Amino acid sequence: MAATSTGRVLTFCRQFQNAFRISTPLSAQKSALTLTKSQSYPHRLTSPLLSSSWHCHVGLVRQCRPLHTTISRRGLEEFFDIPENWGEATVKSGAPWTAKQLRTKSNEDLHKLWYVLLKEKNMLLTTEQESKRQRIQMPSPERLKKIERSMKRLDTVVKEREDAIRLLQTGQERARPGAWRKDVFGRVYWYRFREHALPWYMNKRYKRKRFYTPLFVTPHMRLRLEKHLRAKTRKQNRERQKQAGLQEKFPQMKAQSS
Amino acid sequence: MRLTAILSMAAKAAFPKDYRYGTSRPWTIAAKRLNPPGKKRRKVFIEPIAYEDWSVFKGDTVEILSGKDKGKQGKVAQVFRHRNWVILDGLNTHFRYIGKTADYRGTYIASEAPLLIRDISLVDPTDRKPTEVEWRFTEEGEKVRVSLRTGRIVPKPVFQRRDGIVPQQWKGESAFGEGGTEARGAKESRWIKVEKEIL
Repeated sequence: MAATSTGRVLTFCRQFQNAFRISTPLSAQKSALTLTKSQSYPHRLTSPLLSSSWHCHVGLVRQCRPLHTTISRRGLEEFFDIPENWGEATVKSGAPWTAKQLRTKSNEDLHKLWYVLLKEKNMLLTTEQESKRQRIQMPSPERLKKIERSMKRLDTVVKEREDAIRLLQTGQERARPGAWRKDVFGRVYWYRFREHALPWYMNKRYKRKRFYTPLFVTPHMRLRLEKHLRAKTRKQNRERQKQAGLQEKFPQMKAQSS
Repeated sequence: MRLTAILSMAAKAAFPKDYRYGTSRPWTIAAKRLNPPGKKRRKVFIEPIAYEDWSVFKGDTVEILSGKDKGKQGKVAQVFRHRNWVILDGLNTHFRYIGKTADYRGTYIASEAPLLIRDISLVDPTDRKPTEVEWRFTEEGEKVRVSLRTGRIVPKPVFQRRDGIVPQQWKGESAFGEGGTEARGAKESRWIKVEKEIL
């Protein structure tokens, strides 16, 4: 019932405004309060637009959060290139965004740019698939690489800003919490926490994953360490022998620091 | 595309560990003949010279210290860093036939053989004699080659690109329409000074 009423409200609003309201679940008491409040307001029928907006308000039972989306100007044509580029062998495109350029932009600009790049990427992927279907070469496939690099750099810049704010506000170095844990093989690693619906002592799958080393594994840990040290020493000896051989062949050679 | 994109277009290709590099580029037929897939040849040892210590560049005037054309000076036409080779214009040549067909004997041409870096010496521009060269920094902080015998700077030869573009005078298409690299922010280092504390 709740879902259908929200759905009706959404479709009703979309006809008149592009900004429609999403409802968040609240307690029944609060929803009753809002209902009584909206019923007590007198109806003002000044213009059809206002009356429809009041309809929106009256129909809503829950608290709302505004969400804005842009109007889809061209519809499905946005998945394809502009008609002037159809049939061309190469399509000109500029250089990808550099991290230095992106760092001068504001957060809102970066947010918008991300979606612009995403839509462009969708368009290029559609073009690629279409070229595969028609068994012809895609015009200027380097555009995809440029878009991917730009998006990666944008992500890097946003991460940098988030890291800076978090460090200043809380002093936390990592965004995702974790801990140093031992796995079944005796190796210590950084375990990154995940989100679960249950506490750990009720999570059967989590309890099956052992974060301790059984006693019978301990001798194997020493053997593994010995193997690692042996391999490291052998590599160092091999490197030293190689350098000695090269020094013998080329006496004027400068000794390599590496 | 932008000049920077053209200049940095070469991608890194992967070679086997015992690949024997020759004078031809790896994608040519001659290079493929030199390195067929199952071949195992005696390994060539090359003296490891660090990237910063490399002193000979294309266009330099050098003198040959040993070999057939010992004592002659010539201009460097090509440098092969993977084998420490240098090819000079018209020196250290051997003769061969090129373009041979069934009935035609082919053109007799002189082809240059590569010389090792150790058999080559840079020439001091002032007295035109071979010298040892070291990398040193000038007062401004520029890294230059200094001849050890006279102490004079050996200038780096001007590199001319095959397509004739001089990057300092590049006047190509920089923006396609209004939205281009220029429109993204010509002043990339435009930071606003914040007086009050952020947090």
